[in-house]
Amino acid sequence: MREETLAIIFGMAVVTFLPRFLPMAFLTRWVVPERLKMGLGYVPTAILSAIVFPILFFNEGGKVVIQPLYLLSAVSVFIFSWKVKRLWASVILGMLVYWGLGFFLGH
Amino acid sequence: MTNNHPFREGAKDALPVVLGYLPVGVAFGLLARNAGITPSEVGLMSFLVYAGASQFLAIEMIDQRMTWVPIVLATFFINLRHFLMSSNLSLYLKNTRLSLLGLLSAQLTDESFAVATSNLPKVKNNPHYVLGLQITSHLAWVIGSIGGALFGPFIKISEYGLPFALPSLFICLLVFQLKSVRHFGIMVVAGISSLFFKWALQGNWHILLAALLAGGIGVGVEIINGKQKAKGAKQKGQG
Repeated sequence: MREETLAIIFGMAVVTFLPRFLPMAFLTRWVVPERLKMGLGYVPTAILSAIVFPILFFNEGGKVVIQPLYLLSAVSVFIFSWKVKRLWASVILGMLVYWGLGFFLGH
Repeated sequence: MTNNHPFREGAKDALPVVLGYLPVGVAFGLLARNAGITPSEVGLMSFLVYAGASQFLAIEMIDQRMTWVPIVLATFFINLRHFLMSSNLSLYLKNTRLSLLGLLSAQLTDESFAVATSNLPKVKNNPHYVLGLQITSHLAWVIGSIGGALFGPFIKISEYGLPFALPSLFICLLVFQLKSVRHFGIMVVAGISSLFFKWALQGNWHILLAALLAGGIGVGVEIINGKQKAKGAKQKGQG
């Protein structure tokens, strides 16, 4: 392996590890204030939303777009997982709808 | 079901993530190979770094002949978002050995975090559940990457709806989080502000910023509500 590539890999590994590790290392050992705990309770909803919305409304080139294929597939998964509450089934359904609609919408 | 070994339970719950990671890993390996990275380097990067978005960006930057300093800096900022996920998970992993926490946090990704937070009863004081979930996902990422580097051109990864596997996973896990009107509010605020931040800023800042904003508003609303309730109770008591 080449030195430059190794430097890139190890450097990336270190700077990725630190923000993953430090909060866990400290907060598991400290008594967390009630208000911070409350805020952290909303983190999953907030992070998942902040991941999902841009997937739907930005294309690969980073432009804001309306993508019927993505939106219709996403709405199907949303409704299905609301009713059925099963992760596996929802993922499979999402893939099938996306795949099927892809033919229909000519992608 | 809960009588099963927690590690195996975690590995089982990782399967939807595996379904998403394999094709994305293959795509990564394929692109990395095209940028001149060898299969063993691809495997090492996926094993040690294990953070999809930053790995794709690194490949892009390597392809443009950039040196390690800007690549490592960009990686740091892209992956800073895990800081909030790590903080959140820490609430449920008290009393876990530091060495085990080190391993768990090294394998923390958006996807494994998403699955873990929708299974909190299994996570609570049960690091081996998280370990099973994450080792399985990590393995899929490494195997997918190496597979893509070796056999990429022969594998069809954009077929069978595979590109929508991870988006479906995130949407479903988001739905699982929506337990009250307040959660819907958080979703709307975080979702719309993330679109704005992504539009206004380059890179991956939108996830961290939108989550901080929405979380902050959530806490604000909780505090105001708490004060009003306390006030109401006081008035009732007096009347």
